[in-house]
Amino acid sequence: MVVVEQLNRWYTIDKKRHQILKDISFHVKRGDFVLLRGVSGSGKTTLLSILAGLEKPSSGKVLIDGEPIAKLPDIHLSHFRAKKVGIIFQHFNLIDSLSLQDNVLVPLVALKIGLQEAKAMAERALKSANIAHKSEAYPTKLSGGEKQRGAIARAIVADPPLLLCDEPTANLDRANSLLFIDALHKLHQEGKTIIVATHDPIFDAIDFPHTIIDLKDGQIV
Amino acid sequence: MNPLFLNNQVIVYLFSEAALLALTILLFAKIVKFLWFWDFRSYSNRQLKLEKEAYLAMTIATLLFTLKSVLLIFFVHTIDKLSLIIPGAMCAAGVISANSYGMDLLFIKLTVIFTLLLFLIANSYDLQAKTYPLFRFKSWVLIIASGLIFIEFFLDISYFTHIDTSTPVSCCSALFGNLEGANPLPFGLDITKLLLLFYMLYLGTIIALTLETKTITLLTLLLFGVIAYYGVVYFFGTYIYELPTHKCPFCMLQREYYYVGYLLWGSLFFGLFFGVIWVIMSQVGYNITKAKWASMLLLTLFVALCSLYVAIYYSKNGVLL
Repeated sequence: MVVVEQLNRWYTIDKKRHQILKDISFHVKRGDFVLLRGVSGSGKTTLLSILAGLEKPSSGKVLIDGEPIAKLPDIHLSHFRAKKVGIIFQHFNLIDSLSLQDNVLVPLVALKIGLQEAKAMAERALKSANIAHKSEAYPTKLSGGEKQRGAIARAIVADPPLLLCDEPTANLDRANSLLFIDALHKLHQEGKTIIVATHDPIFDAIDFPHTIIDLKDGQIV
Repeated sequence: MNPLFLNNQVIVYLFSEAALLALTILLFAKIVKFLWFWDFRSYSNRQLKLEKEAYLAMTIATLLFTLKSVLLIFFVHTIDKLSLIIPGAMCAAGVISANSYGMDLLFIKLTVIFTLLLFLIANSYDLQAKTYPLFRFKSWVLIIASGLIFIEFFLDISYFTHIDTSTPVSCCSALFGNLEGANPLPFGLDITKLLLLFYMLYLGTIIALTLETKTITLLTLLLFGVIAYYGVVYFFGTYIYELPTHKCPFCMLQREYYYVGYLLWGSLFFGLFFGVIWVIMSQVGYNITKAKWASMLLLTLFVALCSLYVAIYYSKNGVLL
């Protein structure tokens, strides 16, 4: 499902190279649940952004479902991302001026699906994330937990096989974090491949099979 | 110093062309780098950087096409205005013939637009695939376009520096008409043979496009382009102006003739363009049937429009010019 080989990412600022990721290589099989752990600044978010096709690597191979996402032309990349990858962000990244239902519809724009079908898909996703009762509400009127469930609905609306979560519990209390983990577990049981970047110790207690990748200073340890 | 260089429009035009030349040099350097180092199978830093830079280069090329198209219209407008200060010139056609560089410059300008349009079409097909299958092809097209733009700039400077404002130029009827010393039809043709060739080459092009025979299509398109130009200037144009001695390719672009020249020359240019595009893209494995049909449609429109002016004149007056 995910193949990463000799991945490097660096930024050059004032002619000085700052290495963010160094020679990262790992494979994730379809249906795996992976915890990407590491302290702040260890490169988790950068790695996740590259896996999501939001950022390009400096060198190295990244294949998602056999597609070299760093090399796809833009028009294919947007389509690929909308179809194959769901992303849950630390700060939810919901658009405040759109209702929750419209937020969930946004990823379907790139797939050029008819409005009726798209609405039906959004409704299913909202139900699945247990937030259908708030579909008409605007993000500013939602609690942190509700926003996170809205973000889950948006991530799964196109039924992507891969879910990427970046510090998903950082803005949630313990009860909501546990509910979120429960929701992820359900999605995992449905066959989704899930990669969670986190340094929240609450994930240490999860009791279903998972793989851990520890990152330190941009390298796997 | 040539007083033409004090003309506002000439200054603006030449500065704009110089700016585009600088952009072309930048583009040329990038394309050479692409052709030298491009290896799509590689995941190295250099290749990933080249893929990012390719977007920049393609954007520059698209911008170049847009600005070159605008500047072509501005160039025609500028030389038309110059007819006021060049003795003997009545419109742009007289000014463009003020020296030997003028027609070459106009031809190069059209070829640059043509080449950049070819690039745009190849680029759009290339980006529809995931592996840039036309990357090298479209890069070579840009190399050719860059070369043509370098030549164009040289011709721009040569043309404007060699216009002598004290020597009268031949224009319109004097240049093309039946007056003493007027240019005869090229290739030893007379009007009957010219018209015969005009309609035969049109039919030949349509048949070749229908049968999808690439070499014959290319040949008939190029021949038709040449014959069509002379056909309009020496025969059909006189029916647009309703004056047998007025043999000018430019005046029909003006308001007095309802700007019909834009439709006429535009349909010929794009008709030829789409036909040639169909041939070239077929050679690299893309059979663009839309281009083929567009070519047939536009060339038919061109021939119909030419013929219509003759038919209208005949039906109104009962005689031919």
